[in-house]
Amino acid sequence: MGNLGLAEGLTPLAAASVALVLCVWLGFVFVEVRRSERAGATVLASALFAALCVAGALLRPTRVEKRGARLGPRVAVLVDQARRLRLPAEHGDRRSVALDAAGALLRRWTAAEVDVFGFAEGKLVPLSLDKESTLGQLGEESDLTGALSELAGEPGERFRSIVVVSDGRLARPTEHLDDVALSAALGSPGVPVHTVRVAEQAPADASVREVSTVGAAVAHQPLVLHVTVGCAGGLRCDEVPVVVRELRQASDAAELARGVAHPGAGEATIDLEVTIERAGQRVIEVAIDAPPGDRVPENDHRLLTLDVRRERVRLLHVAGRPTYDVRQLRLWLKGNESIDLVAFFILRTNADQPNVVDDTTELSLIPFPVDALFTQHLPTFDAVMLQDIDANEYKLEPYLPALEAYVRSGGGLIMVGGPSAFSGGGYAGSPLERVLPVELPRTGEPYDLRTFVPAYTAAGRVAPVLGGVRQLLGEELPAMEGSNSLGKARPGSIVLWEHPDRRVGDSPMPVLALGEMGDGRSIALGVDGTHELAFSELAERTSGRAYGALWDGLLGWLMRDPRYEAGRVSLERPCIAGEPTAFELVPPPGATGEVSLTIERLGLPVETALTRTLAQTGPSLHVDAGRLRAGGYSARMRVGAAPPTRLDFACEDGGRAYADSRPDPGRLERIARATGGKSVRPVDVGDLPLPDPTEIMVERRASALVPPWIWSLGAALALGAHWLLRRRAGLA
Amino acid sequence: MSDGNRLGRRALTAGLVALAAAPCDAWAFGEAGAFRARLLAAGKSRTDEARAGATSRWASELVRRTSAPGREEREVVSLDRPALFREPFAVWSGAEDVGALSMSEVSGLERFLRLGGTLVVDDAEPESGAFGRSARREILRALPEAPPVRLEASHVIFKTFYLLDRPVGRVLGPTHIDAVVRGRNAVVLFLAHDLLGALARRGDGWAFAVEPGGAEQREHAIRFAVNIAMYVLCSDYKDDVVHAPFLLQRRGRAR
Repeated sequence: MGNLGLAEGLTPLAAASVALVLCVWLGFVFVEVRRSERAGATVLASALFAALCVAGALLRPTRVEKRGARLGPRVAVLVDQARRLRLPAEHGDRRSVALDAAGALLRRWTAAEVDVFGFAEGKLVPLSLDKESTLGQLGEESDLTGALSELAGEPGERFRSIVVVSDGRLARPTEHLDDVALSAALGSPGVPVHTVRVAEQAPADASVREVSTVGAAVAHQPLVLHVTVGCAGGLRCDEVPVVVRELRQASDAAELARGVAHPGAGEATIDLEVTIERAGQRVIEVAIDAPPGDRVPENDHRLLTLDVRRERVRLLHVAGRPTYDVRQLRLWLKGNESIDLVAFFILRTNADQPNVVDDTTELSLIPFPVDALFTQHLPTFDAVMLQDIDANEYKLEPYLPALEAYVRSGGGLIMVGGPSAFSGGGYAGSPLERVLPVELPRTGEPYDLRTFVPAYTAAGRVAPVLGGVRQLLGEELPAMEGSNSLGKARPGSIVLWEHPDRRVGDSPMPVLALGEMGDGRSIALGVDGTHELAFSELAERTSGRAYGALWDGLLGWLMRDPRYEAGRVSLERPCIAGEPTAFELVPPPGATGEVSLTIERLGLPVETALTRTLAQTGPSLHVDAGRLRAGGYSARMRVGAAPPTRLDFACEDGGRAYADSRPDPGRLERIARATGGKSVRPVDVGDLPLPDPTEIMVERRASALVPPWIWSLGAALALGAHWLLRRRAGLA
Repeated sequence: MSDGNRLGRRALTAGLVALAAAPCDAWAFGEAGAFRARLLAAGKSRTDEARAGATSRWASELVRRTSAPGREEREVVSLDRPALFREPFAVWSGAEDVGALSMSEVSGLERFLRLGGTLVVDDAEPESGAFGRSARREILRALPEAPPVRLEASHVIFKTFYLLDRPVGRVLGPTHIDAVVRGRNAVVLFLAHDLLGALARRGDGWAFAVEPGGAEQREHAIRFAVNIAMYVLCSDYKDDVVHAPFLLQRRGRAR
């Protein structure tokens, strides 16, 4: 291939200037010849020849030879990688259809340079069209606007067209934009955006499309859940029952609310009021009873992890008799503004002789409302403190099964010692014993009269729950006037104080122990002398602050206050059933020992999903928990002998991505139209136009037509000849 | 567990009476928190033998009438001794001006009250009032920021166990009591009724005549003593909201 060109380095402006000067000169010559009677065509011809020679000398024309290639156009294929694409299309699931369509494009556009990316809510990822290898990259929602923006910043040759393969249910651009707003939302890509609609029809599906709350969830206070139920794909949903349940550890789910939605063939929202009695992370299930023909059962229920706050701790304090120990605990509880205290003390027994004629006018006593407290009001309390109260004498026995269920469903329990506590109060062998962190002996003395000083266990020395006391007193503790007889700690329970002399089997007898029982926690304190931390010679040294530090820790641990948890366990990303789940474990500073993680499914039967033990290798640990089934779970981390830290979480089947199964092919058509692209079905991907190829120059060679010295010589001779002819014709 | 294995409250009390004469630093399980009216020896105050014995009577009446455990053995504590801090309650009784407390006594009194102790100042001769006035003066040195205030008839101390209209002791005295209040708790109660005098025994009989109400007044004085003990053990428990409707109803019925 050859072309003519000008001298290297000569700008078009310079060439034009030369041409202009020569033309003006020729014009003058022409006018002179016309006015002259003698000058004729010869002068004019010599001028023209001289001008050409001068132009040749100045412009030095060259022959340019080029060699080049035609390259295929660069095209981007964006395949929707939202989890929603696992929902059904007309044939198979949408994801398979999308990957097949992208594969068909690749096979068809072999002449093009095609880059395939997956897009969801995060960054674009280069996508292999192998279905299994991309499963772990699924996102929650589809952000096409963000994907196009990122594509515009890609280095290298600009994309000549973009193909979007999706079902159209995009998070961005949103659903209800007009064409102008849609163009703006797409960011004016400057190239056509073609779309491939992987699904046209909604599957027959009834689903929980959305669950939202008004305000934050607070324990004991009503919370309104807005539940939106939708029906699509020709399914008729005149009446759809909706139920809200709380999933609990080692017990059946508790129903919180029930209602009926009437979405017909569209959508309906109902408000359901629930009251969650327990603070912390609570797993709530919102489920519908879908009509027959529902093709997507996965979205018939949603699992939410609600972080239920607590404005005040509602506490029931029941004491069998008033003592200085009771007094001190009451003073502390009443002085704590964050505690809403309900107290009942037994002030008179049947054997007492108050010397009155009329009880009702001379005494201020009221009957112990044992039935009301331990039946209807029990769930309203965050924790129950039983202090030295005899279960037999005060007829608590019939209510102990309810108390056990209360603890297992998330309540807190503290049993404080005294002659009528633990075995001395008839609790040995009772249902309540099963939720205490220690076993209770059924034979022998229920308590021991010997004075002793409790000793810290290894766990007690590192437990944050006793950190405040140790900060004030170090290893020192006051002498206790006797102790309850406690059995060995239950599996999973932690002993913080032990008796220096009394033993249970081969181990020292527990004095203070903590335990997790189902969803709840319990504490056994086998002494009645902790008031010595508030008022005693020892207490005087610390202004009694060690008492508050002890009970702050005990009640804080019972209520899952993060300050008293031994470390932190968290999910690295939301748990989705069937997808990899990972945890970050952060042991408390200074803690030593192995870190163990146990994951159990909430509800019955108790099912352990994972047990793993790791060595501490840094400030935090990463644990791959594999792929979990849908449901609620409780993860417990334990560091060495310290009390466990717990995280309750939900693992959803698809989660929010499955909530609305309807595709939106119309939006894909509008996107294509707004950018000058074309929208097709997967079978018609062959109809998408391939942009023209791009020509690329590989080599360019320039050579002078005539050597420059010949042009110069010619110009000099031509100008000389022209001068002679002008003189002969009488021109100046 | 059988009853035979349990050490009952009354058995404990009886046992302690027997042990009272012997020095005893260790108590039985459940006894460390039992009510005891310890006598405070401070300044020039002196308590006669009969009134000193009334502290045992106070505990025994509490045990007989209520579920609260009590300890009858006497103990006299000084403001400048560590033993003051073994229990959170003491009675300061006297008939004459106590004089000026030493600095260590004032310091001990201040620390006792700030730590949460409760003190009853019982004037054995309210007719003269010398003890009561001097005790107020010295307590004000310990807690200058908390002068005594009058406790209304609606105060919880009049309903902690018995429903009472007024304080009484050996003498009828004023219809009210004054108190030093810290936070929501009365930490010093000033009695101008000689409460220990009403409780005091001599031999098989009462040590002092109660005037002008006789036996009925003495019974009311004992009830008032029980209420004070219950206040020490339960603080404002009877002010809790759950008790309000019951107590309003009973007060109305009593009138």
